[in-house]
Amino acid sequence: MPPVAPADELAKCYGLESVPESVRRLGKLVSQPDASTEDVAKLISSDKGFTARLLRAANPRAASEADYSCTTVEEALQRTGMGIVLLVAMYDPLMAAVQKTFQIMLGAELKIEARPVPFENEHVLCEISFAGKATGTAALRLTTPTALQVAARVLGMSPAELEDPAVVDDVIGELSNMVVGNFKSNLCDANLNCKLSPPAITRTTQFELRSTEGALAQRIGLRAPDLDLFVDLNVNPWSE
Amino acid sequence: MSIKILSVDDSKTIRMIVKRTFAPFDATVLEACNGEEGLATAAAEKPDLIVLDITMPVMDGVTMLTKLKEDAALKGIPVIMLTAESGRENVAFIAKLGVRDYLVKPFKDEQLIEKVIRVIPLQKKAA
Repeated sequence: MPPVAPADELAKCYGLESVPESVRRLGKLVSQPDASTEDVAKLISSDKGFTARLLRAANPRAASEADYSCTTVEEALQRTGMGIVLLVAMYDPLMAAVQKTFQIMLGAELKIEARPVPFENEHVLCEISFAGKATGTAALRLTTPTALQVAARVLGMSPAELEDPAVVDDVIGELSNMVVGNFKSNLCDANLNCKLSPPAITRTTQFELRSTEGALAQRIGLRAPDLDLFVDLNVNPWSE
Repeated sequence: MSIKILSVDDSKTIRMIVKRTFAPFDATVLEACNGEEGLATAAAEKPDLIVLDITMPVMDGVTMLTKLKEDAALKGIPVIMLTAESGRENVAFIAKLGVRDYLVKPFKDEQLIEKVIRVIPLQKKAA
């Protein structure tokens, strides 16, 4: 057997994307229960994107940056605690994975919605659990017409040709696998090793964001011209 | 002579996409939905290439790859991994088992064709 190159070299050789270094470092830092606020603040302040997302999270009622009452990373950390930092760190790669998956597999340019409209009727819910050093669930929620539209576009068919709901479920399950698989790889690269469950697909009218004990939960709405979906993340990085 | 590509993935969606991707080529796409079926199909059909997922029920892709490489009659079949798993340490572990290339889902049809063409001589179907 020929010698194998180190992991990072191999990843480059296979054309695998790197997790941004700041995400990797923040993931590692916040996964330590004794991480100091000063270290986290310093790391966040070095990344404009993280800083912007943390300030947005710390000013949930503000319509724009001009309305922020909390304007520095230190104030935001005091107000929100380390939990929000973790969600900011975890959500960044997850959102990137959702947007990339929908862009590549069906050419949809999803944008994060500032004020998403909740689903009122029955919709498709696909949940994948991860267990290990980080535990939790990630879920995609799509309206039934959106799920049909998405499946048709992925398979290059018209919605009318997709008579079998099992095929629609398989497409949604596989897209979720891609999203959560990428996310899980990011967790592993940040020393939060975990394994995934197979996707579980249900139809539900329940829309509330569920949070398990000790976990942090967040929901983001995304939209493309003809698609609406939500991503829920429920994660406990200190489960072991 | 038509090239035989074996797609081993528990997702029907991926098997359909692989089939669609190689439809314009002089290639036959065989399908298996887990590692156990994949090994049996590989032994029976002797494909020119295997496109292999990792996370599957019954037998996962890593186990299938390990068994394939232990079998003198099958170990020469080139394998391209097609998976959402891109964690550095896992990729390094799988590379040690012996794969020709690695493609992370989500993927475009053209990326898969490009990787396959580097391994086997694909020809477009005659018009």
